[in-house]
Amino acid sequence: MLTSIKMSFGKGTMTYPEGAREAFLESGGLTFKDGSSISAGDIWEYMTIEAPRKFPFAYSNNANSLSRPSTYLEFLWGIKYRYLLLSFQDRIGEAKKRGYPVAFVQGGQTLEPYYATNSIPLRPYFISLWSQNQRLGESERERAISGMKTLEEGRREVSIEACHQVASHAAIKNGATPVDLIAPYLCLRCSDMPYLVETHRGTDRNTPTMLVDFPVNHQLDNEWAVSYMARNLRRLVQKIVELGGKQITDDDLRTQIRLQNKARRIARDLVHMWWNADSIPSYSCEIRNAITLANDFCGDPVAGIQVLEEAYREVKERVDRGIKGIEMADKPVRIFLCGSCVTPSTHHIDRVGGTVIGWDDWWNRLLIDVQEDGEDPYVNLAKAILSFPYELPTHQRALWTAEQARLSRSHGLVFAFNWGCNNQSAVARAVCDVVKQELGIPTMSLEMGELGRAEQLEQSNNRIESFIEMIA
Amino acid sequence: MGKIKLESLDKIRDALARRPSELEKARQGGAKVVGYFCSNIPEEIIVALGLIPVRLCRGGDVRQVEVGSRYVSTKNCVFIRQSLGMFAEGTDPYVRNSDIIAVAATCMQMYRLGELIEEYFERKPLILGVPRNFYLPEGKEYFRYELESFARRLEKASGRLLEPEALKESIQLYGDIRETISRIYKFQALDSEPVTWREVFETIQAGFYLDRFQYRVLLKELLRELEDSKPESHASGIDEKPRILLSGTIIAPGDTKLIDIIEKMGGRVVADDLCSGLRPLTHVNVKDYSIGSIADAYMDRVPCGSLPYLLSLETDRRLANMADLIHTYRVEGIIYHTLRYCDPFTFKAVETKKFFQDRAAFLEIHTEYAPVDVEALRTRVEAFMELIQNLRVVRC
Repeated sequence: MLTSIKMSFGKGTMTYPEGAREAFLESGGLTFKDGSSISAGDIWEYMTIEAPRKFPFAYSNNANSLSRPSTYLEFLWGIKYRYLLLSFQDRIGEAKKRGYPVAFVQGGQTLEPYYATNSIPLRPYFISLWSQNQRLGESERERAISGMKTLEEGRREVSIEACHQVASHAAIKNGATPVDLIAPYLCLRCSDMPYLVETHRGTDRNTPTMLVDFPVNHQLDNEWAVSYMARNLRRLVQKIVELGGKQITDDDLRTQIRLQNKARRIARDLVHMWWNADSIPSYSCEIRNAITLANDFCGDPVAGIQVLEEAYREVKERVDRGIKGIEMADKPVRIFLCGSCVTPSTHHIDRVGGTVIGWDDWWNRLLIDVQEDGEDPYVNLAKAILSFPYELPTHQRALWTAEQARLSRSHGLVFAFNWGCNNQSAVARAVCDVVKQELGIPTMSLEMGELGRAEQLEQSNNRIESFIEMIA
Repeated sequence: MGKIKLESLDKIRDALARRPSELEKARQGGAKVVGYFCSNIPEEIIVALGLIPVRLCRGGDVRQVEVGSRYVSTKNCVFIRQSLGMFAEGTDPYVRNSDIIAVAATCMQMYRLGELIEEYFERKPLILGVPRNFYLPEGKEYFRYELESFARRLEKASGRLLEPEALKESIQLYGDIRETISRIYKFQALDSEPVTWREVFETIQAGFYLDRFQYRVLLKELLRELEDSKPESHASGIDEKPRILLSGTIIAPGDTKLIDIIEKMGGRVVADDLCSGLRPLTHVNVKDYSIGSIADAYMDRVPCGSLPYLLSLETDRRLANMADLIHTYRVEGIIYHTLRYCDPFTFKAVETKKFFQDRAAFLEIHTEYAPVDVEALRTRVEAFMELIQNLRVVRC
């Protein structure tokens, strides 16, 4: 059990401290979906020697860097999580060699049909990461500039008003990330996605596309809406199989559902434990990483769930022993973060006396288990998707958000949305108003334009800092 | 104004001026008005239930946009913001007189508009789901069910049952209206038109508000008048003005900025591909007198750009319709109008330009209702007209 070990600092970078090595080796290696495995020693080598050389950006000591590790190493699972992030393109390469398709998906969706058919689903963030990780040795600044270049390339091709997801579409179009299928689910989180997918028709690459449609306005009780979505999901599986994915039975899909339900349960328990702890166990980025890992598994659900289980054990130990995150305020302002595809700097929030306690987007779908047996698994998946609180009509979503803010004992709520996000920005005020009315806590609507850049953060940082100061 | 004085146009304008007070009286007599957003709401069902349809569709009012912006982000298009402003102010006679609000979720911002109307103005809209996969069998089936459900909800709201005879009469009424408008529109193919496109556009939009039975009569009068005017006598053989197809985002009644500029700069709009113009009225083929047939006809007509089409460009009915219009109306230039933050149409601009590059000159105008860009637009439209004139010289 680690408490808090300071990272080793170099010139503008940091790396994992030698003092953590022994404990890390004891924590064991990882096993992957294809049955292969890697030892803890090899992970340590990779993360302390190879990865810092290949990906210096991920070890930046810039206070504003969104991919910066925490100043103190408080969790061993965090190293494994970052290993999955930094090595995932190798697994994609392996999957492609075996003929398994790589699919572009949207954040905020269940991934069972993709993983069951042996395809690798990648949401826009991973597409960008895949594209960028091919350029080895980039510093954080170089990475920010190359990322902006791809973003601008996408906007030139489509529109200046496209949200930052256009960068991942540009990376597909220019061949940097040769996905085999562009097949996101639609949902209320995003209105850019269907039109961005549409822009691929008629391109030189002409990547196959399809959309799994989402009937809006909470249609769980309408049999025809469930059936429509289930048929869309069947069509998706058929498409993946056509492209080289594994032919699956309903039972194969059920097996994947059970696996992913397990991840949802672990993440739920972990988050509730974090919420109910007497003091905040660690940095905000750690709880965020656990939630996002339970959503997308960094391309491998078997390894992803193993890391989640380790995360649960380590968090539990800290909570049981009443250990507070070393750099966290004694009584931090607890912020519930709403919106989509947006990541204000959690390091900054921690630094100015706050903590991010919850995310509506990534969190909501962990609350809905897919029914594991009984009916048609496609119908079960459709019912689960149609139940996601984040995708409900806005008033219902806002009431759910208020309830989560109450359960997490949040002191304030920030509804953040990115430049170009019409669909979330449209309801930012409504959600804030309902939460304010229900809970009486301060709320703030925040447009962000940094798109994961390491610089130009002062506008959102200033506003968030003032918000935290006001509450404190 | 067109080349001749058309009395029926005056009648339409008079009827439109009287319409708000007519609606008030009708409501006092127990009638109910359905104010709706989006042309995917099937008026056939509304009329068959004895309800009065009114399309809520206003644009061009900067003040109302500002009022609406209190409830929604400036990342939403001005049409949505102005629509919210109309509800906030409550002065628009059609909003004021709407007993039932209906919204088709074709455009996601439109769906959000429905949610915000409910949140802030305590009017619970009936939402009609529209499939994104509208061209797949499962999408069509979904829309059939949605429309059945929509009809049931309207029955409940109106306190009446949908009678097959009434539905048949209503479907025939709309068939007549579409056919008549289509014939009126054809006059734009002439070199020297007896009625301007702008007058036809105004006539189509009058149909958003007027009593539809009266509207049919007025349209037939207008058609008769045009046919009696011996249109061939207006044909000069040479149309000096560049012939323009207006496409893209909605241009709602009241939003005249771009049309004024095109006319002032010497252009002649001869056709449109707008949801507030001809597009929803063409290629509608209701095969029998049932709700299912209406649903199929709506899914099979020229789709709104808000519905993504992922198959090939060559099979895209939206582009095919534009190609037909270019051919029929001898279009020389496409002005592709997009409102800021209207993603469905804005994201398609580059692709649409490439698709038509060998067939017509193309100008994208990206704007909103505020007059701040009038001079910039004037310069661009003027240059576009000069370009078309120069192309004529080159072709000669």
